[in-house]
This record gives sequence, C-alpha cells and structure tokens, in this order.
Amino acid sequence: MALISLEALTKRYGSVTALDGLTLDVEPGIVGLVGSNGAGKSTLLKILLGLIDATAGRARVFDLDVRTHGTEIRQFVGYMPEHDALPPDSSATELVAHLAEISGLPANAARERTAEVLRHVGLYEERYRAIGGYSTGMRQRVKLAQALVHDPKLLLLDEPTNGLDPSGRDEMLDLVRRTGTEFGMTVVVASHLLGEIERVCDFLVAIEGGRLLRAAPLGSFTERTGVLAVEVEERAEELAAALVARGLQARASSSHAVLVALEDERPYDAVRDAVVDLGLPLVRLEQRRHKLEDLFRDEPDRESAA
Amino acid sequence: MTAGAIAGGNGPGAGPSGSIYDLGYQSYTGPRLGRRHAIRALFRHTLRVCYGIGRGGRAKIAPFVLGAFAIIPAVVGVGVLALARQMGAPGSVLEEASPIQHHTYYQLMATLLMLFCAAQVPEILGRDQRHSLLSLYFSRALRRDDYALSRLAGIVAGILVFLLLPQAIIVLGLVLSSPDVSAELGRELAFVPPILAQGLLMSLLLGSVTAAIASFTPRRLYATTAIIVVLAVIPVIANVLVELGTEDIARFVVLVSPMDIVDATNAILFGRGQPSEIVQAANLPDVAWFAAVGVLVVLSVTVLLRRFRSIAA
Repeated sequence: MALISLEALTKRYGSVTALDGLTLDVEPGIVGLVGSNGAGKSTLLKILLGLIDATAGRARVFDLDVRTHGTEIRQFVGYMPEHDALPPDSSATELVAHLAEISGLPANAARERTAEVLRHVGLYEERYRAIGGYSTGMRQRVKLAQALVHDPKLLLLDEPTNGLDPSGRDEMLDLVRRTGTEFGMTVVVASHLLGEIERVCDFLVAIEGGRLLRAAPLGSFTERTGVLAVEVEERAEELAAALVARGLQARASSSHAVLVALEDERPYDAVRDAVVDLGLPLVRLEQRRHKLEDLFRDEPDRESAA
Repeated sequence: MTAGAIAGGNGPGAGPSGSIYDLGYQSYTGPRLGRRHAIRALFRHTLRVCYGIGRGGRAKIAPFVLGAFAIIPAVVGVGVLALARQMGAPGSVLEEASPIQHHTYYQLMATLLMLFCAAQVPEILGRDQRHSLLSLYFSRALRRDDYALSRLAGIVAGILVFLLLPQAIIVLGLVLSSPDVSAELGRELAFVPPILAQGLLMSLLLGSVTAAIASFTPRRLYATTAIIVVLAVIPVIANVLVELGTEDIARFVVLVSPMDIVDATNAILFGRGQPSEIVQAANLPDVAWFAAVGVLVVLSVTVLLRRFRSIAA
C-alpha cells in the first residue's frame, strides 16, 4: 500500500488548471516535491489535507479517502504551510501546546510533547516569549514544531526554507533531514529549489503546470540529469555525430555546444579523442549543474539521442 | 547548586545521568483522542480568550473592565440592602424599591453586553483569519464546521458567564444577608429558572448574531463597527418608524433587532417589569419573540457555517 495515492487528480480554479490529471503513488521516505512557482505543489498538499477539494479524481492517504476520512487522516499528518501563520501575541509554547490538543493529544501529553519538540527544533528560552518578537528563522522553527508536535506519520512541508538566509536554510534543511531519518517519518518537502531537494530527499516528484513530469528515486534523477556540456568554436553538429558514432548519447544544442549524457567517466576520453580527430578548438568542458531548468526542459532524452 | 553539579559530573553513578542531555527523539505512543477532544479543546480555548486568559495584559482590559462594570452595581446594591436589613429596615419595601433586581439587571446590562460582544467576538474570530491560523486548525483533527461551532459555543459560554456572574452575586448576597435564610433561599430559587432561561437566550442570540457578523472580516475595527451598527442602530430605526406612525413596518424591524427581542423576552420570562416603548408599541404575542430568537439563531449559525466552509485556508 502506498502512503499517498493519487488517481487522475485534477483541480481547476475557474479557467486555471492547477492540477491536471495527476496519478502518482508515494512510498514512505523523504520525498521532494519540486516544481516552479504555480506548478501545483501547494494545491496538491492542500488537497491531501482536505483544505481544498479536488475538482476530479481521487486522493488517498494511509489508504483512506481524503474527502471522507479527513479528520482520521489529519490526526496523523503534520502540515507546515508556506505563508506566515503565527499569532504575534502568543508564545511558541502556548501556541504549539494548544495546536497539539487540537490534533487530539490530551492536555498533559500536549505540554510534554511541546517542550520536547521545541527543543528538537532548537527553540529554548525564547519559547516563552511572544512570537511577535521572533526572527524569520525562529518563526519557521515554530511552524515546523507545530507540524511535529503530535508525532505524525506523514509530514507535509511547503517551502520550509522560505525567507531564510543561507545559514538558516542550512539549519532548516538539516532539521528536515534529521526529522525524516531519526523519526522514521515520511516527509514530503515542496520546494522550487532543486538544490534543496537534492540535499534532503531520497525520492523526487517533479511537477509542472499541474502535470507529473517524473517521479523517481533521487539517484536515478542525478544519473539521468548528469549532462556534460561541450563547448566548441564551431561545427558542433559534426562533433555530436562523431560522439554518437562512439556509442555516446549526444546532441548538438546549438552550433557551438554539444550535450552529452554522462553516466561514467567514459565520455571524457571520447570527447577528447573526437575533438582531436576533428581538429576542433575546444572552449569549455563542463558538467551541467542540476538546475530546475535542466530537469524540466533541456535534458537530452535517452530515446531521441540514441 | 555545587552538590548538584558534582553529582551530575564524573562521580560514581554518574553514568546514566550522562545521557540526560540527549534522550533522542521519543515517538508519541499515548492516546490520540481525535475529533471530540479537539472540539472540547477549542471550546475551552475560546472561553479563555473571551476573558483574555493566556494572553497579554492588553487582551484582558476590555473583558475585565466591562465585567467590573457589570458586577459593581450588583455588589453595591446587595451591600446597601444588607446594611439596611441590619439596621432593621422592612425588607420587602426596600427590595421593591431597589434598582438591583433580577429582572431589571439584565436590562441594566444590555449596553455592557453589547460592548462585550463588540469587543471580544471579533477578537476571537478575526484573529485566526488575520494571522492565517485557519490553515493550522483545518489541517488538524477538526472539520470546518467543528471549528465554527466550537468557537461559537465558546463565545456563547463566555457571554453566559458575563451575564450570570452578577445574578449569582445578587442571589448569594440576598440569601446570606437575610435574617431568615431558608425563606429567602426559597424566594430566590424561584428566580433561578427565569435567570437561566433569559441568560441562555441572550447569550445564544447575541453570540450567534455577532459571531456571524464578525466571521466576515479579519479586521477587528470593521467587525466591531458592524456589530455596534446592527445591535444599536436597528432599535433606533425601529424607534423612528414608530414615531412616524408606521407601526406595521416597525413591528417587523423590531423582530430582527436582537436587543429589542431580548428586552421583550426578559419581561415575559420574569413575568414583571417594563420592556422598552418600542417593544410595547409592537404589541406582539409572546410566541413571536421566542420565534424571532429561533429564526435569528438558525440564520446566524447557517451564515457562520457557510462562511467557514468557503473561506480559503
């Protein structure tokens, strides 16, 4: 049984289609949900929580339908929204303990869990002060704490590093990673930054325009997105043909650039030899970075390159 | 302090205490009480917020000042009566002359009650919208309807406390200061049903009407203004209509005016006392007033539920 299971899930807002027939099974683990802004990430998370209803299709969490078993599901789900969702006039302790009770924990357990979870996210003495005086980093920690306080089986994080500076970002990602691995919790992290997803996730789900682009373990993603960009002064097409003849997957992306699929060290030697054979001036040899744009558009396809 | 530090250090038996600082993450294995517990917790929370409990000092100003205004006349009135009784005044004469009586006290508190609703209800319902807290509530073991009804129940309970506390003081004060406690107790117990009925009716009607109004805006100022307009301006309109001699229209306006309705039911339930001139001018059968309460409550709750079903979270 998959932890989350989507069947042709569709959500339309008037004429705008946020999710377009999304079919997907998510297994336990740390899952990255990646897509550009407006790709439908937040919409998907909100449908899973029952915060909004799907226009068509089905979504199941823990093998329960989100439409009919919302409260049962949500007892075991933690949600960290993207936007700021904290009242400035109450303290972290008060807020998190109150929300723990709303998740169904008895009052005593709610207080104990609150102390524990605030310590886990790294809020100590500040937790008794009003949230209004907190920094962005502290606010994000409180948001994470309220999502964790009832020890959910599934944690949904919407852009957890929103608004954080680089060091705050590192700390938050580390916290997410530890939460997933140490607690044995399934974590879904929605982000538009592939670099962040890479650092914390085992499994990647890429969506764009509400459609599923790909869902696969992170390892296979890096393998497939490993691209060597070869920049030459001229005759890129000839070079591409020569590389294909040597058994590589390659195509010219312009008149002076060739993209080569990079699965091992082999292409480097082949490129060197091909460039020498053709007598081409080689400008640059660079392993493509895993940018979102590569993943979504520029990636050389195995089938078309072969 | 020193002893503790040594004991926690490297002394014999310090082994297990060394791990105190890193218990690791404990997963929660205790009970999960689910939706019903969540509803109760939200109700309790709302009742506390009505009086600013668990909030900063500023949140307590309005409810406590209004509460003091509500209680002080009861305390003073009962005190004066007790003093008079000690000095041997014939009780019944004085009691009839006192402005502090059960059936007049609710009328006395009408304005305070209106201000209490205008101050506290927007605070409760607007805050969650203002700070986007609804997504944190709705993503838990609650349904949207549960949220709306728990909040409403807390508001109604908060108003009920506000109304009943002074009445309780009057009952207790009269009974305890009486030369014949048991006779006085019997007399006062007869007042308990109308006190409870009218208190419940007022808190239900004003709670649901003001909650329905306040649910529409995250802005406290707008909600407070709207509540005061609805509660205070409709009676004025009705009054003007009566003055103009259009009693037929005035009659219907009075039936949607919460403050006039509770004024009428007060006189009916206690079986004594004078309601306002408008209510008298409307000259409606008793049943009409109670029906108006029912219709307005149902209508307000429907509006409230619809609002929270459609609100974005």
